Amino acid sequence: MTRHLPTLAKYAALLVAAVLTLGPVWWTFTTSLRPAAESFSLPPSFFPLQPDFSSYAAVFEQIKIPLLVLNSALVTALIAVGQMLTAAMAGYVFARMEFRVRGLLFAIVLSTMMVPVQVTIVPVFMIIRGIGLSDTLLALILPAVPTAFGTFLMRQYFLGLPLELGEAAAIDGASPWRTFFSIYAPLALPGMAIVGVLAFNTHWNEFFRPLIFMISEENYTLPLGLVTLQGNLGTGSISIVLAGVILSMIPAVVVFLFGQRYLRDGLTAGAGK
Amino acid sequence: MSTDRSSAVLRWIFLAPTMIGIGIFVLLPIIGSLVLAFFRWDIITAPQFVGLRNFTDMATDSTVAISFLNTAIFVVFAVAAQLGVAMLLAVLVQSRMPSWLRVFFRSTFFFPLVLSAASVSILMRYLFNESYGVINWALSLIGIPAVPWLTSTQWAMVVVIAVYVWQNFGFSFLLFIGGLGSIPQEIYEAGAIDGATGWKKFQRITLPLVSPTLLVASVMGIISALQVFDQPYVLTRGGPGDSTRTVVMVIYESAFRELEFGRASAIGLVLMIAIMLITAIQFRLARRFVFYQ
Amino acid sequence: MASTSTITRRSLLGAAGLAGAAGTVATWPRLTGADIPGRGEDMLTVLILGTAQDAAGRQVIADAFMEEHPDIPVLIQSVQATDWGDFFAKILTMVASGTAPDVVYTATEGAQLFAERLALPLDEYIRRDADEMRDYFDDVHPSLVEAFMYKGELFQLPLDFNAANMYLNLEVLERNGLEMPDEDWTRDDYTELLRGMRGDATPYYWTNRLFGGVVPWLYVNDTSFLVEERAEGGDEFWSTFYPGQERSGGYLWTGSNATDDRVHETFEYMRQLIEEGLAVRPEQGGGNTLVGLFASGRIGTTPAGGYWVQGLAEGGMAPDQYDVQYFPKWRSQRHQFGGAGYAIMRTTDKADQAWEWIKFCASKQAMELAFPTPATTPTRRSLASDNLYTGIGPEHWARFYDTLDRFPETGPIPAPPQQAAVETALIRNVSTALSGDPDQLTGSLETLDRDLREIFTEEDA
Repeated sequence: MTRHLPTLAKYAALLVAAVLTLGPVWWTFTTSLRPAAESFSLPPSFFPLQPDFSSYAAVFEQIKIPLLVLNSALVTALIAVGQMLTAAMAGYVFARMEFRVRGLLFAIVLSTMMVPVQVTIVPVFMIIRGIGLSDTLLALILPAVPTAFGTFLMRQYFLGLPLELGEAAAIDGASPWRTFFSIYAPLALPGMAIVGVLAFNTHWNEFFRPLIFMISEENYTLPLGLVTLQGNLGTGSISIVLAGVILSMIPAVVVFLFGQRYLRDGLTAGAGK
Repeated sequence: MSTDRSSAVLRWIFLAPTMIGIGIFVLLPIIGSLVLAFFRWDIITAPQFVGLRNFTDMATDSTVAISFLNTAIFVVFAVAAQLGVAMLLAVLVQSRMPSWLRVFFRSTFFFPLVLSAASVSILMRYLFNESYGVINWALSLIGIPAVPWLTSTQWAMVVVIAVYVWQNFGFSFLLFIGGLGSIPQEIYEAGAIDGATGWKKFQRITLPLVSPTLLVASVMGIISALQVFDQPYVLTRGGPGDSTRTVVMVIYESAFRELEFGRASAIGLVLMIAIMLITAIQFRLARRFVFYQ
Repeated sequence: MASTSTITRRSLLGAAGLAGAAGTVATWPRLTGADIPGRGEDMLTVLILGTAQDAAGRQVIADAFMEEHPDIPVLIQSVQATDWGDFFAKILTMVASGTAPDVVYTATEGAQLFAERLALPLDEYIRRDADEMRDYFDDVHPSLVEAFMYKGELFQLPLDFNAANMYLNLEVLERNGLEMPDEDWTRDDYTELLRGMRGDATPYYWTNRLFGGVVPWLYVNDTSFLVEERAEGGDEFWSTFYPGQERSGGYLWTGSNATDDRVHETFEYMRQLIEEGLAVRPEQGGGNTLVGLFASGRIGTTPAGGYWVQGLAEGGMAPDQYDVQYFPKWRSQRHQFGGAGYAIMRTTDKADQAWEWIKFCASKQAMELAFPTPATTPTRRSLASDNLYTGIGPEHWARFYDTLDRFPETGPIPAPPQQAAVETALIRNVSTALSGDPDQLTGSLETLDRDLREIFTEEDA
């Protein structure tokens, strides 16, 4: 008896937490399937018995969803790939090569992890203007590619790989390039995947920089487009806005389903060391 | 010899993208911000040197003071709630249960993390609507009158914190799951022999052993909470009054609404210094409280 | 086994690298924005606040213009912003980043900011083309024009406007046995009306922006939160186009008036409405929810302009389900309006072409194209007509324009050049002023006063 009570309480607590976590998203989903005129009606309908997809059609009419998706996808993918490559290279050097200023350089990299993006945003804006990239997607991509956190993660990852492989290769006469590309880089793919998934998660959902850097609607990313859709001057209906929210969640959910392990590993690996 | 040479070449080529990138997009802008903080500049007309005025103005500007206070309140409550909820759920999820159920709960609590804060804030704004929101409707079922969640100075910050925690506790949760998972089972078994159960077990065994994770979770939690922007921007725009105006919101408004770039830079620098100080203090404190295996 | 997986991974790496490079090349125009129409082309760019859809909607005007002026290619660009302040900030950022447009469609809220920092005066052009312009000014109320005059110079030709009238939900009135009020109803009549619908619907809901929500009440109480003065000048213009009219060289807002007793009185009235449960708190206002709530009979009254007719029709409301009335009378019945028109950017090298565009857009032909639906009120009286409202507008749609004649003292939204800071200060303090007790109200007005003083002295420094 006394053994069952804590178990019951445990499941009750977990269940409540799960409902509170998924509930808002489920409500969003069901409300997006209500006709616009009924979207405010209470009680809320928690089960879409008569789904009405007109709000989804309206989203495509009101904002160029495909373009928003393309922009978000381009920005996110290029940042992710860029971070994976540059972080792997830099992380490898910091992990595996001895040279005089290594400590200093690595300290510089680490110290920039703590610099909030808001501190640098104005000068970055001016630099972007200087290189003629104002109001282009590259203005979002380029500054986000160099990654202190990713470099740190990859360094840890390379430190975890056996040293002997490289030494053996060196004895066999492999050049440092070969050692990296043939031996360590393939082994580091899971680590790079972690960096990539983290970058996806951050930049797919990013709001602050697009809000400032993107002026033309053609360059809007998804979160920015959605916030504008529910903007003060608009008269969009709640169902339409929520339909947009649901659409924006789909890619994130896909990555969540298939990349969850990497994301988890990334977050915990970064913290574990 | 040639190996040394080529590894030197490799070293610099491999470092170049990251180091040059960080130089151009982080270090140079920091210097830029430092300089800008001493000017008054609206982008259109020429910058005007104003000495320390951007900093001294901060001391007298009530909005800035309130925003720092708001941010401090936000960080304390949001991080405490985030860590508390995450730790509780992590311990529960790691306890004995069917593995499919564990996978389900783990994925569920982690899920909000992959959503965009902007989207989440949009939907939460509807849920928390005073007259037509589901939350007040649910409360009315148990006889609680409508709460002005987003429209009163008392509640708005509570909602911003709740929405932030809802979305971010999964991050700490993941860290704790990892931390708890790395505790060797034998330690618990040894503890069980000594009669440690329940809360005692948690306090004497679990907590010390996850304390390194707790440190990391709190450092990361605080750093990201100090920079909160998306939630108050979308939920309340900093209002009502100044009640949810955070430091980053003031930076944004100064720079990109009022075109006071110097002022924005000055506030940003102070925020950066605050972040560094707090982190340093945490690691200093950690030496005393964190238990490394 | 290990080596096979290494090889697979190696080829995976290579493939990923290739795919990345190919993808980058393929999407380069998107990445650099080169695929955005008009980028890098030498066209007269016209910027509007709105969606790409809105821009496409104006393409008909551009097409008609280019038919008349084949030598001036026009590109309509849109920028999305959550409010005018946001829009102006974006324009300033465009100026800063070297991508400024040639012409901007901007509203009263930004009229003086533009006049002071961004726009060219139109007076010389107007003088030159006076004969052509007469048709426009004959059709447009002088109050609207005066609002776009700054220190004696005219910077914009207003094309559309909205005065803050009161929308009443006839269904809510009927449900509660209430009558549609008369034109000269008072504030007390209004309060009684709200009390009559309490418990059934939300009696008073704020309009979409605070700026528009609080000032109409200050105006009918014959006050404002800023000191309002009039500038000298513009005599030649007025005597040419509006002979016999006593008009000024434009409005000047020169300081804070937030501690004025009548301002306090007005805020206290609104605070009591909220306290009594007759009005929601100001933050709840918002275009999003407002139309839906009003159309579904959950809101009794809300201040809005003619622009709302279209929105309500789209929200499923029939014209006989609501009506519009003037703002109730207090010490005065002065109304507030906001208008909009094109301004020529100082940075442009196509000022002459820009003027041709502005002149064309002020023509009756272009304005008919620009305002096919009552989503706003055209400034040409001849267009605010049956054609626009039959079958869609409320019974008394004529009040949208008649407001200007009936209340000649009606004035624009108070928006000095420091509009962004003023708006921020106002929004910030209005909500606290109205959502607490009387002491909090007094405190908030004092803060508002201090904030405003800071804004106005900063400018002098």
